[in-house]
Amino acid sequence: MKLHDVDVAVIGAGPAGMAAAIRAREAGAEKVVLMERAEELGGLLHQCVHNGFGLLYFNEDLTGPEYGHRFIEKALDTGVTPLLETMVVRLGEDRQIGAVNTKEGFITFRPKSIVLAMGCRERSRGALNIPGTRPAGVLTAGTAQRYVNVEGFVPGKKVVILGSGDIGMIMARRLTLEGARVEAVVEILPYIGGLIRNEVQCLHDFDIPLFLNHTVTQIHGEERVEAVTVAQVNGNRQPVAGTQRTIACDTLLLSVGLIPENELSIMAGVRLDPVTGGARVDETRQTNIPGVFAGGNVLHVHDLVDNVSWESEMAGESAARFALEGKQKESGKIVVRAGRNIRYVVPQTISGRRDTTLYMRVNEPEETVRIKVGDIMTKGVRAVKPSEMLKIELSAEKLGKLREGTKEITVDCEKRGGK
Amino acid sequence: MSRVETEVLIIGGGIGGAAIARELSRYTADATLVEKGADVGQGITKYSSTIMCQGANVLEFRSEYHNSRLVWAGMPLMEPLCRELDVPFKRIGSLELVENQAGMRHPEKMMRRFKDWHGKYLPSDIEPLQFIDRDTLRAWEPNVDKKYIGAVYDPNIAVNDPVRLTIALVDNAKKNGINVLLETEVLDIKAGTDGFEVWTNNGSIACRYIINAAGEYVGKIAQMVDADDFAMYPVKSYQAVLDKKVGGLINRMVLATGSGMVSPTIHGNLFFGISPGSQRLGKAHDHSTDKKLADTALRHAQELVPAVSAADIINSFVGFIVFRNFEIGWHECTVGVSRWVPRFINASIGFPGICAAPGVAKEMIDILTRQGLRLAENPRFDPYEKAMPDFSDLSDEEKKELIARDPRYGHVVCRCETVTEGEIVEAIRRGARTLDGVKFRCRPGMGRCQGGFCGPRVTRILARELGISEEEVTKKGGESRNLLYKGKELLEAHQ
Repeated sequence: MKLHDVDVAVIGAGPAGMAAAIRAREAGAEKVVLMERAEELGGLLHQCVHNGFGLLYFNEDLTGPEYGHRFIEKALDTGVTPLLETMVVRLGEDRQIGAVNTKEGFITFRPKSIVLAMGCRERSRGALNIPGTRPAGVLTAGTAQRYVNVEGFVPGKKVVILGSGDIGMIMARRLTLEGARVEAVVEILPYIGGLIRNEVQCLHDFDIPLFLNHTVTQIHGEERVEAVTVAQVNGNRQPVAGTQRTIACDTLLLSVGLIPENELSIMAGVRLDPVTGGARVDETRQTNIPGVFAGGNVLHVHDLVDNVSWESEMAGESAARFALEGKQKESGKIVVRAGRNIRYVVPQTISGRRDTTLYMRVNEPEETVRIKVGDIMTKGVRAVKPSEMLKIELSAEKLGKLREGTKEITVDCEKRGGK
Repeated sequence: MSRVETEVLIIGGGIGGAAIARELSRYTADATLVEKGADVGQGITKYSSTIMCQGANVLEFRSEYHNSRLVWAGMPLMEPLCRELDVPFKRIGSLELVENQAGMRHPEKMMRRFKDWHGKYLPSDIEPLQFIDRDTLRAWEPNVDKKYIGAVYDPNIAVNDPVRLTIALVDNAKKNGINVLLETEVLDIKAGTDGFEVWTNNGSIACRYIINAAGEYVGKIAQMVDADDFAMYPVKSYQAVLDKKVGGLINRMVLATGSGMVSPTIHGNLFFGISPGSQRLGKAHDHSTDKKLADTALRHAQELVPAVSAADIINSFVGFIVFRNFEIGWHECTVGVSRWVPRFINASIGFPGICAAPGVAKEMIDILTRQGLRLAENPRFDPYEKAMPDFSDLSDEEKKELIARDPRYGHVVCRCETVTEGEIVEAIRRGARTLDGVKFRCRPGMGRCQGGFCGPRVTRILARELGISEEEVTKKGGESRNLLYKGKELLEAHQ
């Protein structure tokens, strides 16, 4: 494959990469290469056989593979060039890409612009430092999902799940449907880590016990997991003495958070936001490196794929424009700060000159609040939760109200009513 | 059930048994090594800190202790040995930090004694210790806490990969004629007048000499013939490995008296831990980490290098050794013929076992000879092994060449450590039979995602190459299967 004249290279062909590549083509980029390490486009969507995808984007309730196939077909229809079974192993500050595959061997090329769409990975047992032995049968929920839905195997029949992230809750249901018994879903926080709809549809509907304010304090078993010790935690997330109990099980699944996969970004000199774990970007999704854009879970972990697609389309469009014009006309100068009960806001900088959507998450659940963006807009919200991303749309007109020379605006989540 | 006859039986495929087997393979010895696990180097060896050549610390290593003498004998042998076997070895040096003037007495005493003993007890090719002042310390290690006023620099300290060394030793021993039996657990031993009858799960073995290098189980094996003229105390410590992205925080191992240590690994990670024997075990063979030790180790590490963060931990495990005497601690070891059973030789090295292993192996030849074993040189002895390709370490040109020769090297299976299918297939060809066997030979699953991505892929390759089903693939042999059921199998069982 000739790669000397690539306009846009998209790294990763999951939902983010596919949406970015399609939009880059639609926005006029001639040669758009979609690089993917797996043997097919679609990324993790293939293993997400449950429904709930596309409710916002397509106004339809689709499964992961169905959602994926719409994008796969569109990518091929719009003339995106897939480069499959190809792993990018190096990314230079000058946008030089180094990749390997079985056919061409080691390849290097320099596209006019790049979209980072590598997604995220799951936090592992090691990262949690769970005490105990090191038997087989401890795995992340997403890995278990791949084993069950793609490879056709069931890891075990008595399962404890630590963490109540979406994949964990979905796997609780999936394993139950496979005939396994999920003994408990254990969550260290006083609230679940995933979406309410998953708590209802995956746990309550299947009578799977959920223990909030609990954690796994010890793993037992030499060769295969034999049991885990579970304990209640206090307000500092420390186990409360006397509350330990041992649950016999053969499998421990972990659903304890996702980490944007930015090792390539770091190689390229992309500056990361310590809170999101993703790049700092402006509203065009450009990073600090000109011509390098990012979208989807590599930028910040989303809860709905629909938002991943939309965000990545922005990155794809900007990358196409950069490839065509050789530079970006205006980039964000105004810093968006996370204020009261706001964990982060993406984009981290904005120009203030065009319609902009702010994506954000709160630190703590709260009811009856308003989201206040500087003094240019407020929006009432009935309830906010860390697991549910908030979107605030700012029109260019509203942004026009910013005083000339504004250096930063702060987004706050304030209590409303009564006080 | 088979019956094997062998002159020398080595029990245990850890670093000790492996080094002894390889040393014996220099001679035309009829020797067999048995290991109960599915792979070698998976017991105490795996829990090693990977730090070696510590013997210049003459306040800890003293001439009256047998294990110190073994370490001193082994130190000059380690680097050439790693070179012969093409196993990574890197001298990083260590800095024992001094916090205040009162603390200076310790390094002064150490340096004085080193001078006295150098060339006398310590081989003269051990490099001398140096004291470095505050400014040099800052320049060398800017991320070490600013409170330290200087350090004793020990240039001898090195890191390697003990499991790879053990694998290479056993591969080399095999090549030179030693019989190796895996998944062969010794169940009982009967001592006869001029030999032993040994029962295993795979049949019986008749032998004339037994070398008991069973590591953690050395006491259990000795008991079988009433040769346990020593007590064993398993003790544990704690070690944690950090993400390679913080691998550059320090360049040398740093430690402080009565505290922990932080060090680079041979593979570019950082790790920290607390001294061996920090905790006596409540029960034998308890390999679990616990929170108290983990918290203490982290606190100690942060005292030395404040930038060490729990958020960068990618894995943690116990440091595990066996003491002969809990009061004396690791200084005592048991290498010698049993007082009561002739030709039954215990080889329990204790700490620091990896570094002492070449010294123990040499000494074992003397012991065997004194016990009547006649050894002639093996004319076909080939000391060399060739490491398998490490794709991530190659230049672009070398990568191209390798992929052109075998396209499977163009298929990256482990993204964190950039391990290719070609390497995994080669590891299996060289004897890996389990997920851990592959992991310890070429590192898939050792990175920051800990196998979340590559686990299913390595499982598939193992099943394909071994001609077994994916459910039969184990993490580390025995009952450690990762996938217990086929899809729908549990549903059918319900009907």
